[in-house]
Amino acid sequence: MSVKYVPVQWNSNKYWYDLALIALVATYILVFLNIAPQYLDHSKPTDGSIVRARAFGTCAFLMLTAILCIGPLARFDRRFLPLLYNRRHFGVLTAIVALSHALFVLDWYFNYSPYPKLEGLLGANTSYGQVLGFPFEIFGVFGLLCLGILAATSHDFWLSFLTPRVWKAMHYLIYPTYLAIVAHVALGALQSQNNPTFSLLVGVSVALVCGLHALAAWKEHSPAKSVRAADDWFVVGDVSEIAEGRAKIAVLESGDRVAVFRHEAKLSAISNACAHQNGPLGEGRIVDGCVTCPWHGFQYRIADGCSPAPFTEKVPTYRLRLDGTTVMVDPKPNAPGEYVQPVPVPEAVS
Amino acid sequence: MEDAAIVLSVARWWLYAGGIVAVLFLGFGIDRIDENARGSYIFRPLLVPGILLIWPLVLWRWLKLERNHHDISGRYNPLRQAHGPTWMVLAFLIPTLFLGALALRQTWPKDAPATLLAPPAGAAQR
Repeated sequence: MSVKYVPVQWNSNKYWYDLALIALVATYILVFLNIAPQYLDHSKPTDGSIVRARAFGTCAFLMLTAILCIGPLARFDRRFLPLLYNRRHFGVLTAIVALSHALFVLDWYFNYSPYPKLEGLLGANTSYGQVLGFPFEIFGVFGLLCLGILAATSHDFWLSFLTPRVWKAMHYLIYPTYLAIVAHVALGALQSQNNPTFSLLVGVSVALVCGLHALAAWKEHSPAKSVRAADDWFVVGDVSEIAEGRAKIAVLESGDRVAVFRHEAKLSAISNACAHQNGPLGEGRIVDGCVTCPWHGFQYRIADGCSPAPFTEKVPTYRLRLDGTTVMVDPKPNAPGEYVQPVPVPEAVS
Repeated sequence: MEDAAIVLSVARWWLYAGGIVAVLFLGFGIDRIDENARGSYIFRPLLVPGILLIWPLVLWRWLKLERNHHDISGRYNPLRQAHGPTWMVLAFLIPTLFLGALALRQTWPKDAPATLLAPPAGAAQR
C-alpha cells in the first residue's frame, strides 16, 4: 500500500522473492547452456546462439507455466499465497526472458537476411494455409506482444486508472498467450526434436495448467447462494459458523459477495472484493483490528471499510442484523467507506 | 515481404501516436485525474511502455475520468464469471493442439534409413 505512487514498492518479502526468482532463472540458464547440448539430441546441428535461444525460450515457457499454476494453487491451498504476493514481478521477468529469446533468434536466423530482421521474421514464411511448416513464429510474436502489454501495465497506477475489472479483463490476455506459446512450441521446436525430453516437459506443463484451471473453474462453477428472506435481506448463516477474526462469505443473488467478519464479539460486513486487485477479503483475517487482504496485504477498518490513515483505499460496507443466532445481510451496499454500527454477538452464543 | 513491411509500418505509426499520448498524458492529464500521482514524478517513465502499447484505452479512460465518471461498480465487481467458460474451452483446445502437433510431426529426411532402390523395369545396365 502507498499514498503516492513510487516506481516499485519494495519491502523485504519482495526483495527475497525477486532474489530467489533471479537466482532460479540464472541457474536454469547456466545449467541448460552447459549440460543440454551434451544430452539433448537435436536433429540438426546447433551452435552457441541456437542453444542460448533455446535456453531462454524454454525458461520463459516454464516461467509462464509456473505463473499460470500459482492462481489456482493459491485457491486450493493457502500455503501457495506467498507465491501470489509478488506474481507481477514474476510476470515482468518472464517478459524479459522471452524478449531475450526473441533477440537471440533474430540475431541468428535473420542476421544475414537481405531485409530488416523483423521484416524477415514476418515475411520469410507466409504459408498460413498449411499445418506442417506453418509459420509458427507468428504465435511467438503474438505471445511476446501480449507479455509485453501485461508487463508494461503491471504498475499499481494501471489498476487504479483502468479499474480492477478492466485491468483484470486485459490481463486475461495471459490465457490466449499461453495457447499461442504452446502452438509456437508445438509447431516449432517440437517438430525438430528427436529427444522426447522437451515433448514430455511441454506435455506435463500443459496437463498441469489445464488440469488446475479446469478444476478451479469447476469449484467456482456453482457457489451456494444465500437464501433471500421475506424482507429481501439474505441469510448469511448461524453466528457460530464465523470464527473470531475470520469471515463467512455470503453470495447474493446478483453474484456479489459479502464478507461478514467477527471481531471482538461484534459482526461487520464489507464487500468481499479488495479495492486494489479485487482479492477475496473474506478469505483474509483481521490483523491489528483491520481486515487484511490475503493477496497483497491491503488493510481496511472493519466498521467503515476505509484503509487506516494515511492510506485512502475504501470498500463498500453492508448492514447486518441478528435474527436469534442467524446473521442477516442487507443486499444493498453502502457507499465505499460509509460507517455501519457493528452488531454485537450476544454472550450466550459468543 | 511487402505485407510484412506494411505491418511494421502500421506498428511504427501506432507507437508514434502512443508517444504523443504519453507526452500529453504524463505531462498534463495524469495530475488532473489521479490525486495520488500529483507530486510523484519518478514512477512516470515506467508508464511510457504501457501507454505506447494501449494508448486508445488510455485516451478512453482519461476522457471518462475528465468527465468525472468514476465507475464505482467496476472497482468492486471482480471478473469472476469469465474464468470458467474460458478454461472449459482452453482445457480442450491446448492439449488438442499439443497432441495434434506431435501426431503430425514429420520425420526429417536424413533420419529415414537409406534404402537401395530397384532399377526401373526394362532398364538395361551398360
